[in-house]
Amino acid sequence: MKVDMKVDYYPGDTGEFIKVDEEKCTGCGDCAKFCTRNVWVKDGEIYRPKNLKDCAECGACWNICDFDAVIFGEPKGGTGVRFEFG
Amino acid sequence: MRTKFPTIRRNEKRKTQPSQNITNNKKDDLSMGNSEYDIIVVGAGCAGPAAAKKAAELGLKVLLLEKSQKPGEKNVSGTCLNMAALVDPDLQYLMKGPIEREITEMHTYMITPERTTMMRETPSEGLILLSVRRDEYDAWHTEEAKKAGAEVKLSTTVMDIIEENGTITGVVTDSGEKYFGKVIIDAAGVNSIIGRKAGLIPKRKGDKMILYTILNVWLGEEVVNERFGNSIYYFLGPNTQHKTWPWIFPKKDVVTIGTGGYMDDDLFKGDIKSVNDYMQNLIDLPIIKEKLEGGKVEAWGLHLEFDEEVEKRTKDRLILTGEAGGFVIPFLGEGMPEALFTGIYAAEAAAKAIEANDFSAEFLEEHFMSRINENVFMQSFRYIADLNKKSIMSMPDQEIAAMMQNVVIGGGFISNAIHTSWMKGAEEDDMGLVQDAKDFYDLIQPYRQVGSESVEIYKKMRAEK
Repeated sequence: MKVDMKVDYYPGDTGEFIKVDEEKCTGCGDCAKFCTRNVWVKDGEIYRPKNLKDCAECGACWNICDFDAVIFGEPKGGTGVRFEFG
Repeated sequence: MRTKFPTIRRNEKRKTQPSQNITNNKKDDLSMGNSEYDIIVVGAGCAGPAAAKKAAELGLKVLLLEKSQKPGEKNVSGTCLNMAALVDPDLQYLMKGPIEREITEMHTYMITPERTTMMRETPSEGLILLSVRRDEYDAWHTEEAKKAGAEVKLSTTVMDIIEENGTITGVVTDSGEKYFGKVIIDAAGVNSIIGRKAGLIPKRKGDKMILYTILNVWLGEEVVNERFGNSIYYFLGPNTQHKTWPWIFPKKDVVTIGTGGYMDDDLFKGDIKSVNDYMQNLIDLPIIKEKLEGGKVEAWGLHLEFDEEVEKRTKDRLILTGEAGGFVIPFLGEGMPEALFTGIYAAEAAAKAIEANDFSAEFLEEHFMSRINENVFMQSFRYIADLNKKSIMSMPDQEIAAMMQNVVIGGGFISNAIHTSWMKGAEEDDMGLVQDAKDFYDLIQPYRQVGSESVEIYKKMRAEK
């Protein structure tokens, strides 16, 4: 059996609930390293949450960033990741 | 007994900062606007519905806000309710909820390249855990809060707090609605936006945060019965975890598998690039592979667990509960009972604050923490976790494996906690430590064996359901 990241999402626009603070990002890449869902992608000198639609909303990126460059909010009500069998 | 819960400074002068916009007189309830409440609870996981239900039962006007469409659908884990906690009179009603499986046994496997050691432990004559599905259980619990009189709004995300003169007086939702409360109870989880905005929840990593992944595998009820029965399973194997304990908990027709590790520099190394790699190694272990044969991955999940308390759980008009307040012991896989207890205690502390017209952080803390410090379950689990975690964080993997074997043979973490204190006391000629161990041993006696009495309570509650 292979680990299959089977994740369900509510329909609807989550809004841009994770952003990068371009001034603070040093491009260290810890956000990408600790993101299991490959949300963070290198773009020039910094990282951006380009694959936000794949986010599982765990918050590892916000917690791990030493430079306070991750702005971590919340998806709009009733949107975003939906877990079953939790 | 030594615990890390802060002691309460009872004589500290209380400062009250009543907000201009909020009336503190109960008689004014009738004149409250539609957006004004006695208590606003944010988050309908474990702590939130417990708090809302209790507050409503105490006659308060309560609003419970939840970001998901159905409570529990944002919760990845928290899969088994501990009967040692559920026998507490405050929590007994929770036995009436939707239960997936009644757990009566525990198996622990030590797996090294050379051999596999299996220890079967049956720590109780009766039930030890109740396995639940959070998307069913939290939804049921929220209905219970509603029945008690709490107003519930789903699909409603709290985006911000409202502060007046430095005091939190309300919350703003994603649609821009403002709700005002005399007390705000934060039950919004490990990364709660309320606790963060209030400056109480810091960033955490290293030995203070665990990154965990969950795999739910569908096997069908008959196969789960046959291969897993009513037992939970713990494993310690090569490259299957980072200083934590992978586990498999059976539900009705699926099993939930969890593994991951502390978010330090060694979480990812060598072939391990993600927590999914630990999971893959785990389900590839022959003993597990066999048990999952023919199964289908039904759902995958990912979450963080905070493994150190936040320094302060209260601010004027605000109480942090459950994971938001750091009331979780991921090391022991315990979080739901702590959330349930702290939700109830927060509602009681808030009711006292309204009664006394004192909404200061100090007043709330005194009434909140005094209940926690009297709670045998919470105190003993913190003690067990502290001592065992200290051992594990300081050891290389091989030594952990050896220690784990001793722990397993010696009867688990409880024995290890007692043994650690006792031996350290003996070695250092510190009778205080020995006394500590003895006090703890006495303290946990009622909880060491959740026996026939708990089964009777369970039967009674199920009959009342």
